[in-house]
Amino acid sequence: MFPGILFAGAVGLLFAGIDRKLTGHMQNRIGPPIWQEFLDVGKLFGKEDITPTAANSFVFNCAPLLCFGAIMAVMLLLPINSSQPVLTSVGDLIVIIYLLNIPAVCMMLAGYASGCPFGTIGSSRYMVQLLGYELAFIIAALAAAAKVGWSLSLSSIVSYQAQNGWMVSQVALIPAAIAILIAAQGKLLRAPFDIPEAESEIVHGSLTEYSGPKLGILRIAYDIELFVVAAVIVVLFFGGPVPHTIYGIYIPGVVGFLIKCLGIVVLSTVIRNIAARLRIDQALKFFWTFPTLLAAISLFLVVVT
Amino acid sequence: MPRILPDVLKNLFRKPATVKYPKQRRALPENFRGKPVIDKEKCISCGLCVKVCPDNAITLDEKTKKPRIWMGLCMMCGRCAELCPRKVFTMSKEFELATYNKYEAMSE
Amino acid sequence: MTFIIPIGPQHPALEEPAHFRIEVKGEEIVGVDLRLGYNHKGIEQGLSDRSYAHGLYLSARVCGICNSTHSLAFTRAVESVAGIECPDRARYIRVIDAELERIHSHLLWAGVAAHEIGFTTLFMLFWRDRELSLDMRELLFGQRIYASGTYLGGARVDIKEKDIPQLIRTLNKLEKSVKHYIDVCTSDRTIIARCSGVGVLKKKDARELCAVGPTARASGVDFDIRRDDPYAAYGEIPFDVIVEQDGDVFAKVVVRLREILESIDIIRQAIDAMPKGAIRTKFPENVPENEAVGRTEAPRGELMYYVRSNGTNKPERVRIRTPSYANWPSVRPMLVGGTIADIPIVVASIDPCFSCTDRVTIIDTKTGKSRIMTKEELRRLRK
Repeated sequence: MFPGILFAGAVGLLFAGIDRKLTGHMQNRIGPPIWQEFLDVGKLFGKEDITPTAANSFVFNCAPLLCFGAIMAVMLLLPINSSQPVLTSVGDLIVIIYLLNIPAVCMMLAGYASGCPFGTIGSSRYMVQLLGYELAFIIAALAAAAKVGWSLSLSSIVSYQAQNGWMVSQVALIPAAIAILIAAQGKLLRAPFDIPEAESEIVHGSLTEYSGPKLGILRIAYDIELFVVAAVIVVLFFGGPVPHTIYGIYIPGVVGFLIKCLGIVVLSTVIRNIAARLRIDQALKFFWTFPTLLAAISLFLVVVT
Repeated sequence: MPRILPDVLKNLFRKPATVKYPKQRRALPENFRGKPVIDKEKCISCGLCVKVCPDNAITLDEKTKKPRIWMGLCMMCGRCAELCPRKVFTMSKEFELATYNKYEAMSE
Repeated sequence: MTFIIPIGPQHPALEEPAHFRIEVKGEEIVGVDLRLGYNHKGIEQGLSDRSYAHGLYLSARVCGICNSTHSLAFTRAVESVAGIECPDRARYIRVIDAELERIHSHLLWAGVAAHEIGFTTLFMLFWRDRELSLDMRELLFGQRIYASGTYLGGARVDIKEKDIPQLIRTLNKLEKSVKHYIDVCTSDRTIIARCSGVGVLKKKDARELCAVGPTARASGVDFDIRRDDPYAAYGEIPFDVIVEQDGDVFAKVVVRLREILESIDIIRQAIDAMPKGAIRTKFPENVPENEAVGRTEAPRGELMYYVRSNGTNKPERVRIRTPSYANWPSVRPMLVGGTIADIPIVVASIDPCFSCTDRVTIIDTKTGKSRIMTKEELRRLRK
């Protein structure tokens, strides 16, 4: 159960609810209550399950489950409470990066299998955007790994930070932190990079034909992905789970971890609200110049010093 | 640095611009044209209101010859209030006119 | 291999129904086909069935956003037909009514355009400030949207002295906000990336396709009915006509936002210069035989009403040519050559008002296939 589906689901939906509430206040209105995402997903599970006849029903039905499964697997591989994740024998950084790509691939397949033109356009945009942000994400993650002597195990990164302070406090890694935050904005499909799901242009992109329980599963997967990507960034750059003892009370590492993840989510919300959506060619050009360069500078500095 | 960023951060600490209707209501100005209210005592049954209403929403009752407005057609333009020689109609401030059966929404 | 994307009649990008068939190759647009007529309401027939006094209210209900301008154009046409001049104070009240409506319409458009490019924060903030202008319409005229400030022969209500300080305070607040928004929109890098160079309408195309209003003024065509054919009190109030040369969506944004500032200035001058006196003259019941055209500058461009009378109290024929109807042909050169991502913002940049557009059905004579059938043909087909 911990850190299984219930924990990840509850925290992910809660973070999404906080994001919507904060967005409301930033726009000078009252947003929805914090638990609105729970109610939305609950409502979706109560609706009728429809598959359009023009769709390839095998791929259409499997895609949400694959998404959800991949995200849960990443949850189990992250060090959340202590510096050891739940599955210790399998995990390392490359596996996590590959697993985080599976939801993207699933959404693309789902879009193509939908049988509607909006899905096709959404999927093609998703592919182009994946090429964009993935490079910056990987190079920035490798920069953090390089600091620990090229060890790709997350436990060793967390232990290194427990002794030497956060990765971000070292000047050589600040560009990588900025780069990975921008790449995460692209990965999570939030403005200015919510191009594959642009509501005013292509209804809902790959997810147009989904409704009912399948859309509910995709929504939960998307919200858990919000938590998971923030968690990966915190583990790599911001210290990971570190237990503290304040005034004699033992606070387990997970509390500090959640607070740091919430900070990343709030930062992502602020960026989401101050930018318009870019076009896909502009986004690709942007990704291949600014964040990739920053991450490469960081990697170079880490390797050289 | 985007110029909208200070706005967004200031708005986080400001009171929201939402009026929490129906718990809070705004004050309406005195010119406000809401539902027309009929004072039957003053009516002299001249029939002018029936002629000037653009929507034909006003009818005179067969027995009492007093006006009655069907709110399903009334667009609250104010002509009846303006042109009645005895000032039978006043435009009140009532605008919450939703009802379950629109054929019963009468002003008389 | 081209691929046809249907947009509408139900689509999140459009508020009202229209049908576009866009041929794309990858992301680039190579052809556009447009079908309108989903909102045909039969208003011109309705105007011939009603007397002039009742027709005034119907003409306002052609469009919700530009309703004061419609009734003002109808009034101008009918008053020309009858040969009546309205008193001076009424002319200034009509100016205030029309300019308050221009402010609210441009702020509405700005919010919708921000939503089309995905900038929801600006959408919410623009519409929050639009509430200020709607509150002013409610204070002065009684209702937020259908203010009905004009009347045949004058103005419907008078502006009281005690309302004027609040009007001035609200105008000052609006002016500060709009100046800040112009600053944000011209300096924000994502807005410039989405809007500049997109949907370019060259000056030659704008003239040939008879574009009107801010759509034409953003392409360098310097024409504004308020200055070139003055009505109400515009002849006595000096103001600037905003013209930009680039013709892209960014120029249209700048033109409309700066026009809000000009409108605020016009209202202030109108309040200062308003003479005291009566607000109405008598308007005859039966109008002698005559025909006339009344033109006004709606927020979207030049609005034209043609009225022909035949001596009775009902007009014989009323013909309305709205600015949105005139601006639709210019969508095609703007869209071809762009990408799919540009469709919502380019279509929104001409400020389409579908209620204004669809009072006549369009029959496409180019391809025989896409004709819109009349009721007789449908009835014949049913049997």
